[in-house]
Amino acid sequence: MRALVIDDSRAMRRIVSAALEGFGYETRQAGHGQEALDVLQEGYAPDLCTIDWNMPVMDGLQFVSAVRANPAWRALTLMMVTSESEQGQIVRALAAGAHEYVIKPFTADALRDKLALLGMLPEEAVL
Amino acid sequence: MTLAPDAPGRLAIPALIDEATVESIAGEAWIALVGEDEVLVPVPGDLPEDTLSAWVDVVGPWTGSVVLTTGRQTAAELTRALLGDAAPELLDHEDVADAFGEIANVVGGNVKAALPGPSTLGLPEVGAAPTVRNPEDVCRIEVLWRGQPLVVSVQGALPSLPVPHTPHQHPHQNGASQ
Repeated sequence: MRALVIDDSRAMRRIVSAALEGFGYETRQAGHGQEALDVLQEGYAPDLCTIDWNMPVMDGLQFVSAVRANPAWRALTLMMVTSESEQGQIVRALAAGAHEYVIKPFTADALRDKLALLGMLPEEAVL
Repeated sequence: MTLAPDAPGRLAIPALIDEATVESIAGEAWIALVGEDEVLVPVPGDLPEDTLSAWVDVVGPWTGSVVLTTGRQTAAELTRALLGDAAPELLDHEDVADAFGEIANVVGGNVKAALPGPSTLGLPEVGAAPTVRNPEDVCRIEVLWRGQPLVVSVQGALPSLPVPHTPHQHPHQNGASQ
């Protein structure tokens, strides 16, 4: 399975990517929403996007809305991974089309549990 | 909602969040981001002269910044701990700013969630700490990480309100007729 990790922090991209790779994902990274849209438009087809909220150029919510507006990307699972933890923000993200919401700081186990709930754990990580 | 007694109409941070909550938020962030064994010890220490701060701004019913300050060397150590095996042999300022800023972002986001909302969170900034505008609108904790001092300050962006002027009552201006 493939994941696109979208976060403006290189450190956080490395942390999320390392966790996902530990579950068996192949990962690519993008530093903001527009860069991630460019990656998708180039033809990269991930199964999962993890998305930070506060990013320069295009934030996570704008990215979710843009993906949901394109029927070609309907199958893409969108997971917010962000320190925005106000209840109202979580509701906004889910209403815009995100499937799941992980609040930073998180542990690899918490990420794994969320992926399992979504049926997005690669088989080798389930076993 | 509680208002600061000296600032009618304006929310001040001591009425909104306490030191124990800030300490708990920072402690959780450390364990999750820096490492399971990486505890923050609530003991004050003297910051070195060469410090670095990372902060995020919160704008909402309460407006201010969540600021982390530590020695430059400690910030670099934090970066190495955060990046683990992915840390480059030689860290540059960008690496430290990115990692330290992300820690401030995580702590700030969770502090924001504990405050009255809705609020917006700014992007992390790194450099010299923003000036404390109102000493009464600050919640500050001092901790040690690996024996090195670190300060987390939740500080308002607005200056203190002027003390209301109580006009002196001049004995000849009391309207009393002679």
